[in-house]
Amino acid sequence: MAGRAAAQRRVPENESTIAYVQADGLAVMKIVKHCHEESTTNMDIAQGALLGLVVDNRLEITNCFPFPKQTDETMDEDEYQLAMMRRLRRVNVDHFHVGWYQSADVGNFLSLPLLESQFHYQTSIEESVVVIYDTQKSSRGFLTFKAYRLTPQAIEMYKEGEFTPEALLKLKVGYENLFTEVPFLIKNSPLTNIMMSELAEMVPEEEGAKFLDLGTASVLEGQLRCMMDRVDELNQEAIKFNRYQQLVSRQQQDKQRYLLKRAQENAARAAKDEPPLPEEDINKLFRPHPVPPRLNPMIIAGQINTHSQAISQFCSQSLAKLYITQALQNAKEANANP
Amino acid sequence: MSRFFAGSDTDSDSSSEEEQIQRPQVPVYTFSDDEEEVKRVVRSAKEKRYEELTNIIKQIRNYKKIKDMSSMLNSFEELQKAYLKAAPVVLKEENGQTPRFFIRCLVELEDFINEMWEDRDGRKNLSKNNSKSLGSMRQKLRKYLKDFEDDVAKFRENPEQPDDEEEEERPEAEPDSDSELPSKSQFTKAPAKQQVVEDKDESSDSDDWPSDTDSSSESSDDDEGKYTSMRERFLKRPGGATHEDYEEKERRKEERRKERKDKDRRKMPKDEEEDGEGEWETVQRGVAIPSEKPKMFAKDAEIDLSLVIKKLSEIMAARGKKRTDRREQIELLHELQNVSDQHQLGPAIYVKIKLAIISAIFDYNPKVSDAMKPEYWLKLLERMSECLDLLLSNPQLLVSDTVTEETENLEEAPYRIRGCVLTSVERLDDEFIKLLKECDPHSNEYVERLKDEAKVSNIIDKTMKYLERSNVSSELCRIYLRKIEHLYYKFDPKVLQQKAGDASVPKDAVTSVQEMEKLCKFIYAKDSTDRLRTRAILSHIYHHALHDNWFQARDLVLMSHLQETIQHSDPSTQILYNRMMAHLGLCAFRHANIKDAHNCLVDLMMTGKPKELLAQGLLPQRQHERSKEQEKIEKQRQMPFHMHINLELLECVYLVSAMLIEIPYMAAHEFDARRRMISKTFYQQLRSSERQSLVGPPESMREHVVAAAKAMRNGNWSACNNFIINEKMNAKVWDLFYQADQVRAMLTKLIKEESLRTYLFTYSHVYDSISMATLAEMFELDKAVVHSTISKMIINEELMASLDDPTQTVVMHRSEPSRLQSLALQLADKVNNFVDSNERILETKQGNFFLRGANQVRVGFVPGNFRGDRQNYRGSTNQNWDRQRRDRNRDKDNY
Repeated sequence: MAGRAAAQRRVPENESTIAYVQADGLAVMKIVKHCHEESTTNMDIAQGALLGLVVDNRLEITNCFPFPKQTDETMDEDEYQLAMMRRLRRVNVDHFHVGWYQSADVGNFLSLPLLESQFHYQTSIEESVVVIYDTQKSSRGFLTFKAYRLTPQAIEMYKEGEFTPEALLKLKVGYENLFTEVPFLIKNSPLTNIMMSELAEMVPEEEGAKFLDLGTASVLEGQLRCMMDRVDELNQEAIKFNRYQQLVSRQQQDKQRYLLKRAQENAARAAKDEPPLPEEDINKLFRPHPVPPRLNPMIIAGQINTHSQAISQFCSQSLAKLYITQALQNAKEANANP
Repeated sequence: MSRFFAGSDTDSDSSSEEEQIQRPQVPVYTFSDDEEEVKRVVRSAKEKRYEELTNIIKQIRNYKKIKDMSSMLNSFEELQKAYLKAAPVVLKEENGQTPRFFIRCLVELEDFINEMWEDRDGRKNLSKNNSKSLGSMRQKLRKYLKDFEDDVAKFRENPEQPDDEEEEERPEAEPDSDSELPSKSQFTKAPAKQQVVEDKDESSDSDDWPSDTDSSSESSDDDEGKYTSMRERFLKRPGGATHEDYEEKERRKEERRKERKDKDRRKMPKDEEEDGEGEWETVQRGVAIPSEKPKMFAKDAEIDLSLVIKKLSEIMAARGKKRTDRREQIELLHELQNVSDQHQLGPAIYVKIKLAIISAIFDYNPKVSDAMKPEYWLKLLERMSECLDLLLSNPQLLVSDTVTEETENLEEAPYRIRGCVLTSVERLDDEFIKLLKECDPHSNEYVERLKDEAKVSNIIDKTMKYLERSNVSSELCRIYLRKIEHLYYKFDPKVLQQKAGDASVPKDAVTSVQEMEKLCKFIYAKDSTDRLRTRAILSHIYHHALHDNWFQARDLVLMSHLQETIQHSDPSTQILYNRMMAHLGLCAFRHANIKDAHNCLVDLMMTGKPKELLAQGLLPQRQHERSKEQEKIEKQRQMPFHMHINLELLECVYLVSAMLIEIPYMAAHEFDARRRMISKTFYQQLRSSERQSLVGPPESMREHVVAAAKAMRNGNWSACNNFIINEKMNAKVWDLFYQADQVRAMLTKLIKEESLRTYLFTYSHVYDSISMATLAEMFELDKAVVHSTISKMIINEELMASLDDPTQTVVMHRSEPSRLQSLALQLADKVNNFVDSNERILETKQGNFFLRGANQVRVGFVPGNFRGDRQNYRGSTNQNWDRQRRDRNRDKDNY
């Protein structure tokens, strides 16, 4: 309900094959169940495969199944997936692999492995998406599903495997356009909708108020702490890069000086009709310093971005909640003493 | 080879046999050997000596020809030695006439040297080595020739006179090879010697006949002669031993000889002719290693003061020479002491000899760094106290280093003796410490040695008394400091009893503190060298701190301003300073001045090597941190074990005081981003324990303190107290204090108070108000104490609260930033840092762009300036900047 509203903001302009993701209630429930099981028992991230089909510019997710735990060595994952799909096909379920899902805590999903696996998915299955389910936020009453796809630039960047500042600049990749968010819709059958509304009416008035949780401080604290860590990391990266820059500039100066000296020498030699000194050893003398890869800072920047988005969203929602609570309170008081 | 063998053989067998034969109690001089040998194997010995001489002379001639001065110098020295050896033979055989060939050689040598010396051009051409040798040769020769002046003069009168054996040898020396030489000389020598022997026999006894034969056999077969003589000697020995009358004669003869020698010695200074011989005798005695007791004077000599003095100075003259036997010197001096005692020559000479003995014992150890042997040490102690006793009992005696040798007066009443008791005592004290350091501190040996401490102190006391008589302030200062150094580290329980008004100690009893006071004040007033005063102050403070006189000790430290200058002083004083600081810290701790205790100890503990700083042991060597010499020097600086300060106690006191300061501070500044550490070491301990995944029950002292700190963080005072004060910690640490129970009570009280503070800091945001009665109950403190603690916190603005008097509660004010706010502040700080570094990246880029080729200074300068600007305008532009970025994003999206 809430998740449906969240996804409508930025529609990617590029010639993506998919305009939005439409998930079945069944698949959503399965994902939620799996993720909550994982996160409550052992704080692991849950992962699974999404099944469905592409219709026009819409990716429909009709079913899903969890991946086995990574710790299980004996099982071959690929075989398991294939077998799983074969069997699902037998029971007449869509067996087209359209992506994968992962659980996350307050938007900390962005990471190198995620980037890598999504790259592999998207290169093998053009339409595939990654669906992120935020367990923590959902448990606070905000059902949070997000679908992401890598941008073409990001794919290009990853293909080249080069993360120097120049390459990133050329491809125009930044933390903002690593992923594009694809709108995520949940579609239920009319029958389900009917039942939902019936259920909603059965919920007593008092029960509904429990979602108006006002304990904002601890959530914000957690978010801030995460953010601080990320900022520290990014700061480290910046310092690293700064150091690199200094090294490069110093080397550049040395190089200039050396070249100047060599040129003078050569001029002197030319005056004396001697063969000029060879110049090719310049690269040996001044071995270029390794450029610090920019992928990691980019990912951290992306994390900070999601964190801050999450915080601002949380804050606005909390504010809204406060107003609702006030209204409820007023209404209650009005009821109590007419 | 054979010659050498024969020589050594005669020496050894003669001496060993003599001892068996003779009366054992009669002390025999070593050079009796030679004479003995002469008697038995007259010819061979004489021949041997002479041959040695002629060989060397021949060598010298060769060197003369090739002008090899350095070798010649060596040979000349050899010649001197050889002649020295031959001297007794000469004396006997030639009636003291120096052999002519020897004189001739000397004369030739002199001429040659003079010639060389005159020839300036030639001298310049000589190599450096040679010319140096020439110089020293000339001097030596001159000196040496003085002994033979008469002979040389005689020789010069008529140099052509054919002298006994040399005459024939000389012309042949040059053309001939070596083989022919000895035969001729021996051949010619033989009759002459026989004559000599016959002369001698008339005067003494004629037991030489059997040996005579081998000389003749020798002369007949030249090369084998020596071997036969040797064989003869081997053969002869049993025969010689069986003759009883022969032995007796020998004995008699020896006695006679000794008498004569003594007479010689007494004649020595006057008699110029015998002078040379006398000199040799003394040297020889010094060189030889006697196994018998040395003999001082002739039996019938009349022993008086001047004789003893002469003898003493004679012995002392050998002091410090390379080849002097030091042990023998000590024995000689003791002997001399006995002799002078027997004849009652007065106290002055007694003291004089005692001083000589003491310095001889000091000399015994060749290396300064090594400790002396215990037996000598004991001897030294005895001599020293004897000497001092005598000095004290005789007010007439004056021993001083201002007395010159001329003004010395050993004979009558106002005795004046040259010497310095103080230096000896100081040296003795040093030796004592060295000796202690040598022992294993956990062995009985150490305890045995330590028992001598009383004796040493006693000696110092006596010296003090003695020096007080002469009342020279610089000397008094020195001896007082010695006394102080034996006093300052000793704990005197009487002081504390007196302070507490204990009946068992009378009010007017002089305690060590008072004594210390007296000594130190004298030094403060009279000392002119800075070092003594510094050391006295340090020791004084130490002593005060040891006896819980916290205020006196603190005031002395503050008044002396030693903290500022101590790094310019010598290492041992710095060590003393460190020791003083350690004890001052302990004293402050006992007086519950935790902050002072911490400040005193922090410098020592921060480096992590208090052991080295207190000179209580060396850290194991880490990758050549110090060289061998450095290590040796450091070893010399070490404190003897009985003066050590318990390091575990020190560390525990430090950690506990750090805990008492740091934990409330940490609680108060939990969210302060720029919280500084008060005690790094304590922090490290905490960290390392936090890093452990599983923390077991505490075992060591450190673990106890860390566990206590953790308990205190939660305001759990009783757990904290149990960790600090329990049986293990009592045994390890607290029982080491003199009044351990007081210390423990003090600690418990402090722990309660600091736990209360920590509790308030940590949990104040939970409370709106707390009743003080509840707090007092929780921490088992008096209400008044709780009240005062909280008031103090409020006054210091550590706790935002106010006291509500009628209800006895603390009402909290919510003025502190909440947790979230402080987190946000921290985040803002971090983001600031990040922006800084990010801008630096940008700057380098721009700097490169604009200032390409510019020098480093400008590159460095411009960004700095720029950054300074930014800090001013950032506040206002921040929002704009954000908006710009957002706009940019939107632009991109639209695109």
